[in-house]
Amino acid sequence: MLTRRQTLLAAAATFIVGAAGFDPAHAADKVVKIGIDLSLTGADSQGANRVKNGIVMAFDEANQGHAVPGYTFELLVTDDGTATAGQYDPAQAAINARKMVADKDVVAAIGPQMSGAGKAMTPILSQGGLATITPSSTNPDITSPKFAEQYRPAGKPIYFRTVTTDAYQGPNMANFLAEKLKAKSVYVLDDSGAFGVGVADSFQKQAEAKGMKVLGRDRLDPKAADYSAILTKIKSLNPEAIYYGGVTQAGVKLAKQSYEIIPNVIKAGPDGMVSSDLLSGAGFPAVEGWYTSIAAPHLVEDNKAAKFVAAFKERFHDAPEDYTITAYDAALVIVDSVKRVAASGKPVTREAIRDAIQTAKVPTIQGMVSFDENGDLADRTVSVFQVKKDATKPLNDVSAQYKYIEVAPQS
Amino acid sequence: MTTFDLLLQQTINGLSLGAMYSLLALGFTLVYGILELINFSHFNVFMIGSFVSLFVLQSFGLSGQEVILTGVPLAGVLLVAFVVTMAFCGGLGVVVERVTLRPLRNVKGPAAMITSIGVSYILFNIILLTVGADSKNFPNPMPAIRWHIGEATLDFRVLLIWAIALLLMGTLYMFVQRSRIGKAMRATAQDAEAARMMGVEVDKVIMMAFFLGSALAGAGGLIFGLYYNFTSFIIGFTAGLRAFTAAVLGGIGNVPGAMVGGVLIGLIEAMGGQFIATAWTDVIIFSILVLVLVFKPAGLFGRIAPNKS
Repeated sequence: MLTRRQTLLAAAATFIVGAAGFDPAHAADKVVKIGIDLSLTGADSQGANRVKNGIVMAFDEANQGHAVPGYTFELLVTDDGTATAGQYDPAQAAINARKMVADKDVVAAIGPQMSGAGKAMTPILSQGGLATITPSSTNPDITSPKFAEQYRPAGKPIYFRTVTTDAYQGPNMANFLAEKLKAKSVYVLDDSGAFGVGVADSFQKQAEAKGMKVLGRDRLDPKAADYSAILTKIKSLNPEAIYYGGVTQAGVKLAKQSYEIIPNVIKAGPDGMVSSDLLSGAGFPAVEGWYTSIAAPHLVEDNKAAKFVAAFKERFHDAPEDYTITAYDAALVIVDSVKRVAASGKPVTREAIRDAIQTAKVPTIQGMVSFDENGDLADRTVSVFQVKKDATKPLNDVSAQYKYIEVAPQS
Repeated sequence: MTTFDLLLQQTINGLSLGAMYSLLALGFTLVYGILELINFSHFNVFMIGSFVSLFVLQSFGLSGQEVILTGVPLAGVLLVAFVVTMAFCGGLGVVVERVTLRPLRNVKGPAAMITSIGVSYILFNIILLTVGADSKNFPNPMPAIRWHIGEATLDFRVLLIWAIALLLMGTLYMFVQRSRIGKAMRATAQDAEAARMMGVEVDKVIMMAFFLGSALAGAGGLIFGLYYNFTSFIIGFTAGLRAFTAAVLGGIGNVPGAMVGGVLIGLIEAMGGQFIATAWTDVIIFSILVLVLVFKPAGLFGRIAPNKS
């Protein structure tokens, strides 16, 4: 007869095996953990959840299809958004990076979404030798050799991207405003975040180079509610356009209030303004007419993406965004890298995976993904969109409400 | 835009902000006047007020900016929204006081204040976890009527918001000055012990102060939503801190002081954005807080605080 203790142990063992989805064929599989860091709490949560779902889908497909024989992928999902920040929080991102580095089974990571989080994470990831691929963070400093001491103190690049950087996103939008919309003057705003300030700076520089008159520059506090003072000031300066570098927390309020105060000014922003959080938070008609960019080719309407989009919609009852696809692509790069390391017979270590990512040439939805010597994406396409209401589709559906215009002119 | 129009527009902007800060500042002042307690849960009672009113408006079928009401329907919807929101928030304030602060009434030191910070975070996280983290679109059922004065514009809804804020503040002032319980509140503020000996039910007075302050915060939350057409779980902190500064500026414990302080902070924020930079708003406002505390700790209108001697 079993003692009570033994019964409990047996029950616990059954439970654990059951919970892990016990599958005899994979019983001997080695577990490869992938750290994920996204801004799941706060103003950008809807987009973040799509990114997460894109990643989950990629690894589920890899596990089901035995993409890497003998290995099973597991995800360690962390959230760098905090309630007090109301959006991504660099301090939390640093804690998450430490958590990933401390878990010896984690051999690679995906994320973060936000450059402000990326700046906080890279020193820790670099010391831990853990490579990450970001699906959307575009601040160029993080991968620039100029700041290598700060962001990759251990030497090798560990921050890879499946999007290009603000070295192209900001300036190319300036080119678009100057060449295509013939704007002669602009007022520049940012949201005080690492990403927002950086992209606004690079925009401003190129706008000046293009001969646009920069009438001023100010910074929005994303937690403040009222931007009427600065918008009234902008109204009095009468610019043809405003450019806002930042993400949705300040963006929602800016869109609302600028619609009231400066309705006839051209409004433009970076990928931080491509978001269903903006569409549902600010709503029509306030968001109508905003020009935005993404640091990638436009993918969701591409034929290559059709299969992914259909599968995503079926599984999550939700439409993916372009950065859902760049996240899916990032996961494909990691699966491919693990596969190559495993096939070569070498142990699947962080170092081996980093080197494999560095030399990756992976066919993905956005095309062939490969990285330059700093970890930046070889493809430098920036796409421009404009918000145009399509009443036949859900009003917070990014792929329906943002109309693709064209690839922004390169400098 | 001429300089005059610009100043006029920024004054309109500042007064609208100020109306909200005043309503919030009154809650700080009422409670501080009686208990000498800075009630940090007030921040998020305001935030919850905006969500309660959002649900009320949504239950009338209002969402987004498409449905516009005028005349009696508008007045009716707004009246119901204000009454429900203020009753709910007032009740919430009373519950917070009864459950978390009354047991600490006679504990010396900062225990009650720290408890109120804890309550604030609890409210904040309840909304975060139940309603979600994204910004919510707040319906605006008011018609887009605008008047132009030179190049400055004055919205109908801004005017309505001012009128409602003034009405609420005026009613509160009269209530505190004229009514029996208002008199009891003032007596308790001057000397709680003596008031008790004269037959004032101090617990009831404190409850009333929490009810009134929280109800006004609820009204402030609704006005916030109508004015900005959005709400989010995060709106309490910035607005709350600025309103607290307004209460200190006017003289904490002083009801008219809180009203004037709120308007001044609103105007300072608007003019600071115009002449310095929006990025400096917090530096300006909190420098004022520090300067007031150092040079005129009783505020512009004098502090009316419990007399402990």
